[in-house]
Parts: sequence; C-alpha cells; structure tokens
Amino acid sequence: MQELQWGLPVIGYLFLAGVGAGAYTVSSSVLLRGGGGGFSGDHFNIARYGALLAPIPLIVGTGMIILELETFQTAVAHGDISLLFRWINLFLTINLSPMSIGSWVLALCIIASVGYAYTFLSKESADGDDKNGLRHGLAWIGVPLGIAVAVYTGILLGAMPARPFWNSPVLALLFLVSSLSTGVAGILLLRALFGKHHKAPDGETHDASHKTASRATYLLASSDVLLIGFEILAIFLFILFANLTIGNPAKAVSVILPGGEFAAMFWIGVVVIGLLLPVLIELRYVIPTLLYHQPYAMPRGIEVAVCAVILIGGFMLRYVVVVAGQITGPMGI
Amino acid sequence: MKATATAISRRDLVAKIGKGAALVAAATAVPGKAKAALAQRAVHYAMVIDARKCTGCHACSVACKAEFEVPLGVHRSWVEYVEKGTYPNVSRNFLPRLCNQCSEPPCVSVCPTGATYKRKEDGIVVVDPDICIGCKYCMLACPYDARFINPNTGTADKCDFCLHRVTEGLEPSCVNTCQGRARIFGDLNDPNSEVAKLVATEPVTVLRQEMGTKPNVFYIGADHSDENDTRVPGQYIRVDTHRPILERR
Repeated sequence: MQELQWGLPVIGYLFLAGVGAGAYTVSSSVLLRGGGGGFSGDHFNIARYGALLAPIPLIVGTGMIILELETFQTAVAHGDISLLFRWINLFLTINLSPMSIGSWVLALCIIASVGYAYTFLSKESADGDDKNGLRHGLAWIGVPLGIAVAVYTGILLGAMPARPFWNSPVLALLFLVSSLSTGVAGILLLRALFGKHHKAPDGETHDASHKTASRATYLLASSDVLLIGFEILAIFLFILFANLTIGNPAKAVSVILPGGEFAAMFWIGVVVIGLLLPVLIELRYVIPTLLYHQPYAMPRGIEVAVCAVILIGGFMLRYVVVVAGQITGPMGI
Repeated sequence: MKATATAISRRDLVAKIGKGAALVAAATAVPGKAKAALAQRAVHYAMVIDARKCTGCHACSVACKAEFEVPLGVHRSWVEYVEKGTYPNVSRNFLPRLCNQCSEPPCVSVCPTGATYKRKEDGIVVVDPDICIGCKYCMLACPYDARFINPNTGTADKCDFCLHRVTEGLEPSCVNTCQGRARIFGDLNDPNSEVAKLVATEPVTVLRQEMGTKPNVFYIGADHSDENDTRVPGQYIRVDTHRPILERR
C-alpha cells in the first residue's frame, strides 16, 4: 500500500468538524424554527444540547489537523520553536484554495459556535432572557456557517483532478448530509445520556412532560431518517457516476466496489452499520407515530445505540473516503 | 536656388507636419511597445527529454541529490523503468521524471498560504520554505507525485529546474551531467533555442495530458504504458523505480 499523506488526524478532523458543524446548524435551525415556546421549551432544550456540543468537536478536530502539519511535527521532533506556530501563515493571507477559504470559515465557525454556546451556558437560560438577541443572531449566522464548514470538507478533497476518487461534485453533498446526520446523532446522544430521566410514574405531570420531550426527539429522529435517506442517495450517485465515467474515476471507485480493497469496510462499516441499521431501527419507532399518530417512545438504550452507530458510520465514511482517495491516482503516465 | 529651397509649398508643409506628428507618436509609443515586447520575451523555461537516448544510468538522479543535498528517501529527480512484453518480444524503457513546471500548476491553486507559486519571469514553480506550513495539500494535488516533504525543514520541496543555476546562465545539474544528451533545457520563447526547435518539429508528448496541467517537460519516444494498459491478454507490463515506494503514483 502507498504511504498516506493525510492520515488519522485528518480523518478524525473531517469527522469531528462534520459533527460540530452539523450540531451547530441543527441547533440553530431548531432554535429559529421552534423558538423557545414550542413544545413547552423542548425545542430550546434541544438547541441547548446542540449549542453546548458544537464547539467541542470543532476545536478538538482543528487541534488534530495542526498535529498533521509537517512543520508542527518537525518542530516537535527537532525542538524547533519557530516552526511550532507556522500554521499562523494560513491567517496572514486568503486565496482561492479550498483550504484557505476553509480555514477562515472554520475559524469564524469556531468563534461563532463558542459565542453561541456561551448564550446557553447558564442552566437557567430560557427563551427571552437577556442573551436572547445574541443567541438568535448567532443562530442566524450558525446555519450558513455550519453548512459552509460541512460542504468545505467535501470540496477540500474534491478539488483535485489528480485524485479521481475524490474529484466528484457529489462528495461535498455526501459530506454535508453526513455532517447534519451525525450532528443530529450527537445531539440525541447527549440528550439520551444527560437528559432528565422520566422514571417516576407520578401521573399526568410525567406524561405531559414525557409527551413533549418525545415530540421534540421525534422531530429530530424523523429528520434523521430523512437525512440518512439522502445520504444513501448521495452514496448511490457518488458510486454510480464514478463508475459510469470510463477511466480514472471508474478505476478509483472500484476499490470500494465488490472485490475492492475497501469493499468490506465500506459496505459493512459505512452502509450497513452506519446507515441501514440505524435507519431501520429509527423507522421502527417513527412509522407508528407518522402513520397512526401513536405516541413516540424510543427506549433510551436503543436511542444511545442508534446514535452511536450513526457516529461510527460517519467516522467510517471519512476513513474509507480519505484512505481510498490516496491509494488511487490517475492511470497511465 | 535659395528661394526654391526655402519656399515650401503648402502641400509639403502639411505632409511634413503629418510626418513629424507620426514620428512623435511613434517615439512616445516606444516604451509601451518595448514593454509588450519584453513581456512576450519573458523567459519560458522548458525541458525536452529524449527517452530514446536515456540509458538509465542515473547520473541525473545522483547529480540532483548532490546539487541540493536531498535527504535520503526523497527525490527531486528520479528514473522509472518500464518493462513489457513476453519473451522473446520484450522491451525495457526508461522514463526520467522531475517536476513538470506546469503552465496550469494544480499545486499552486491549492496552496492555502501562497508558499508555492509560479514565477512570472521564467515560469518556474517554486516553494518558499519560509512560508510553507507543510499541510501536504500540494502533494495530493500534483498528478506527477513530484513533491515531497523535506524531512529537515518539514516543508514541501521539489525540483525547481535548478533555479540557482539557471539564473546564473547555467544549465540545470541533471542536464549538465546527462551523458546521453537525453535532456535538453532552454527557453521555449526563443524560437532559435534547441528546446523550441525540438518541441516545434519532433512528435513530443507530455505526461498525463488529461490532467490539463500543460506540463513544460516534453518527452520524445517516452513509453506511456503502465499496468492498466495491458491490452494483449497475458502480456506483462511492469513499472518500477529506485524510489523507496516502487510503484508509480
């Protein structure tokens, strides 16, 4: 196998930036769409989980790509301090390189998401409190910024004809949908792990609060079903168009088709575990509510498991795409 | 006589004024024209590699290593061997490789810091090691695998047509040392240069033309086949090189 220029730090970064950007976008959308009032403030709670989650993967992921920079590695290996902060050069200029635009967008997104999280930091924060104006302003910024970061991760890879596996316009769409889906999964996971438990069977008050909580998570779970549906469509288009293009793209995409080096990892890790399994489980709980208006109730354990496999699938997608793109190059000379 | 000499007819006067105006106009136009001519006459360095004359002796690989003290394991200039056929119909060809100094360099368009750029004065693509952050985006974008990370600096590095030599009027080191005269270097903008004549008259090819990079390294008689080009069932094609990673990338 050929050596990889972009290894695990970049794969981890693409995944984490996707989760963070997705969580920021979803949180902002839920806040702006539902306000604080809908479902007894439950929209607000979901927005709060997303807001508090978003900056963490964004910052951790960004830290990881700095580790991948060769100047940083050389600085550590040779003890050369002057090379340690060479990455500042990214912010001394701006040009049309996807990485240059992406760095600026990512920096803005991190700053905005930290500010957005700050408006939710207090446990007493509620819709209409003194930070409401800032919160809504940052939510309006968050939707386009989050989408921009998610799309840029796809354009970053897609910009190079020399890498036929990546050089597809569908890749940016695939990464965007995957980001939103993993963002939703991150929010639902946080909510399932740290949300209020409804154990005490004390009559109406519990039922009422449980119903509103369920309705809000139903909104996210059903959106996630839709997002995963779009993701399957994007994967279908990605493979189809590469395979229909004779030459470099067809040869490149064959590494994830049956018989290819990454076929098992892609079809089992990404498609079955990351997409089909969670979408089928979610459908099992969403369909009764959707068709028969039954109360939506997904057991907490299953909710955690579904979110976990969606996140694993999102990571596997980045892993397979980043590695497969680097082991396949143009044919001939 | 005097009278006739000084008595200039009205027609002559108009004609003379007209000529004078034209002269003045021409004189003021000269700097602009000269600038345009200079811009056109900017040097456009290119290399022609006559693969028929290459014997695979690696003098170029060694000269390049010595010229730049290129660290072990990485190469600015290397040679590939293309073996094909089944006995007794076999051949072995050599393909000397280096940065193509593309006219449409993909490495330049992806560089986020502007550390790599194409010099306007001679078309050589260079890397500024004081700006490069070592993100390796250019290495992925290059269809020719011409770039590597210099382990001493942690920044991207590659062939620069021996910029320090050619600006002094010398040939690149690999050209200087080539014992078969397989490498020819010169200014493509000078119609009398050997490279310009060869590119104009010989059936030259460039590597991976479909990438749209417009390379400035031209080959005569290069074998462009690789393992994917086996059209005859059972035919054998093998490409390898002296670099640590034996496959062509």
